Amino acid sequence: MIEAKNINKFYGNGDSKFQVLKNINLTIKNGDFAVILGASGSGKSTLLNVLSGLERPDSGEVLYDSANIAVFSDNELTKFRKNNIGFIFQQYFLLPNLNVRKNIKMGADLVGNTEYTAIIEALGLGEKMQKTPNELSGGEQQRVSIARALAKQPQVLFLDEPTGALDEQTGRQVLNYIAQLQAENGFTVIMVTHNHNIANMANTIISMNSGRVSDITQNQTPLNAYEIGW
Amino acid sequence: MVISIKDAAKLFGISIIACCAVLVCTLFLNFYFDIMQIKDLIVSQQAIAMYEAQISQVKVVCIATGGGLLLTSVVMLLFYIKNYIDTHKKSLGILKAIGYPNIKIAKHFWVFGLSVLLGSAIGFAGAFCLMPAFYAQQNSGSILPEVTINFHVSILFCLVILPAVLFAALAIIYAYFKLKRAVLALLKDSPSDTSTPKKHKDNGKKQLPFIKELQKSTLSQKKSLVFFVIFSAFCFSAMTQMSFKMRELSSEMMGAMMLLIGLALALSTLFIAITAVVRGNFKTIAIMRTLGYSQKECRYAILDGYRPMSYIGFAVGTLYQHFMLQIAVDVVFADFDNIPEYNFDFIAMFVSLAIFIAIYELLIFFYSEKTKKLSVKEIMLD
Ligand SMILES: Nc1ncnc2c1ncn2[C@@H]1O[C@H](COP(=O)(O)OP(=O)(O)OP(=O)(O)O)[C@@H](O)[C@H]1O
Ligand SMILES: [Mg+2]
Repeated sequence: MIEAKNINKFYGNGDSKFQVLKNINLTIKNGDFAVILGASGSGKSTLLNVLSGLERPDSGEVLYDSANIAVFSDNELTKFRKNNIGFIFQQYFLLPNLNVRKNIKMGADLVGNTEYTAIIEALGLGEKMQKTPNELSGGEQQRVSIARALAKQPQVLFLDEPTGALDEQTGRQVLNYIAQLQAENGFTVIMVTHNHNIANMANTIISMNSGRVSDITQNQTPLNAYEIGW
Repeated sequence: MVISIKDAAKLFGISIIACCAVLVCTLFLNFYFDIMQIKDLIVSQQAIAMYEAQISQVKVVCIATGGGLLLTSVVMLLFYIKNYIDTHKKSLGILKAIGYPNIKIAKHFWVFGLSVLLGSAIGFAGAFCLMPAFYAQQNSGSILPEVTINFHVSILFCLVILPAVLFAALAIIYAYFKLKRAVLALLKDSPSDTSTPKKHKDNGKKQLPFIKELQKSTLSQKKSLVFFVIFSAFCFSAMTQMSFKMRELSSEMMGAMMLLIGLALALSTLFIAITAVVRGNFKTIAIMRTLGYSQKECRYAILDGYRPMSYIGFAVGTLYQHFMLQIAVDVVFADFDNIPEYNFDFIAMFVSLAIFIAIYELLIFFYSEKTKKLSVKEIMLD
C-alpha cells in the first residue's frame, strides 16, 4: 500500500518561493490502477516524482507498507527505486548513444531479467532493436521508455503521460499490454494523463487542481483498453 | 543568448592556460630581444661566453616551452572550444529553428577570444612584473653590461593580440560550420558528437551485462572526450616533468617558476578534461540513477573507462618531454664541446605520476559524489 500523508513541496526560495504540492493525502492499494488527472502545471509530475522517490517532499510522509521513503538517504532511495519502481517519463530520457535493445536491457539488467525480448516484441519494437533513439519516431521512443520500465519488473509502475505521443490504435495497444502485464504480475499502476477517457480504465481516479488533490473517486467498473473512448 | 556571462565565466580554464603559457614565453622572448640589442657592447671573453650561454639557455627554454607548453595549450584550447560548442548544439539548433541566421548565432562565440585575451594579457603584464627580478637573476654577477627592459610591440602582438583574434575567429568559424547542419540534426540527441557512429554488429547474443556494454559504448562513441582525456594526461605528464627538468637546466628561481607554471597548466588541463567528461555524461548518469543504478555502478560504467586512457596519455607525455628536451639540448649545444648531460629523470617521473594519480582520483571522487545529488529534474530542460 502506498500512502501519502500531508505532503508539501516548494520550489524556489525567497520571493519566488512557490508551493507546488499543498497538503496532499492519498492512499493507493497494492495492485491498484490509479490515474491522476489535472490541468497542466497543477503538480501532477511533481507528485509522481515525490511518490516514486525521485524527489523528496519538504514535509509529510510517503509510506510504502509503513516504510517512510521521504526520510530515506540517497543510497536507500536508489536501492528502493531499483527494487520497486518503474518510471516512464514525460520526456522519455533514453540514452542517445545506445540502441533500442541496450536501452531496454538497461532496465532488465537491474533485476537480472533475461526474458525482456518478449516485451520488445509485444510493444511492436522488434524491428527497431538495432536503431538508436534519434532514428525513432516520438511514439517509438515512448514505447522504448515503456519497455525499459516494464523490463525492470517493478512492484509499482509510474507513468507520466505515457500515451501522449501515440495514435489511438498504438495507444490502446500499449495500455492493453500494460493492463495485461498488471493482471499477470499484480503490480500497481499510477498514471498521469490528460486523456479523461483513460481514467475509465482505473480503479482510483485522483483529480488535482493547482497543487491540491481536489477529488478521489473509486471506479467500481473499470473498462479495458478497447472499451474506453479516445 | 547562446553564451551568457555565466557561461563565459566557465571559460576561466582557457584564461589560466593562456596566462601561464604567455607568461613564460614573454619573459624569455623579451630577455632574448633585449640581450640581442646589447650584443655589440659585449667585448670581454668572459662576457661573450656568458652571452652565448644565456642565448642558448633562452633557446632551450623557448623551444621546450614553445614546443611543449605553447603547442599543447593551443591544442587544448582548440579542443575546449570544440567541446563547448558541441555541448551547446541544442541551443544553437533552437535559435536556428526560430529563424536566426547562422552567422548571427555563430558570432556570439567571439567571447572565446575575450577569455584568451584576458588570460594572455594577465600573463603578459605578469611577465613584466617579474622581469626586473628575472633580468637581475640572468645577469647575476654583472658580467654582462646592464640589460635594460624594453617593451617590444611585436611580442605583445604575437602573444596577446594575435591569439585572441585567432581563437575568436576559430570559435566563430567552428560554430558556423556546426550550424550548417540541418536544424533537426542539431536539436535531436545524436548518438555522438562527431559524424555518424559506426554501427556495431549487435546480435544480442553476446550477453555482456548492461553496465559493461555501456562502458564500451561510452568510450567508443564519445571519442572526442577520450582524446581529451588522453591529451590532458599527456599535457600533465609532459608539463610537470619538463618543468622539473627545467630546474636543472636553468637558474633556481626560473626552475621554481617553471615548476609552478607547469603545475598550474597541468592542473587546469586535467581539471578541464575531467569536467568535460563528467558533463558529457551527466545525462546518462542521471537517467541511470533514477532507474536505481547505484553510484558505484554509474562510476564504473561511465567514469572508470577513461582511467586506462589517461595512463596511456601519461606514458606518451613522458616520452614526448624526454625527447623534446633532448632535441632542444642537442640543437642548441650542437657547437659546444661539453654538452650538458641529459638523462631520463625517473624521480621526476614518479613524482609527477604520483601527483597525477592523486589529482585524477580526487577529481573523479569529487564528481562522483556530485552525481549523487543529480536529479532528472536538472536534465529535463537540457
Ligand atoms: N524546478 C522547478 N522550479 C520551480 N518551479 C517548478 C519546478 N518544477 C516545476 N515547477 C512548477 O511546478 C508546477 C507543477 O509542475 P508539474 O511539472 O508537476 O506540472 P504538471 O501537472 O505535470 O503539468 P503538465 O501536465 O504540463 O506536465 C508548475 O507550475 C511548474 O511551473
Ligand atoms: Mg507533467
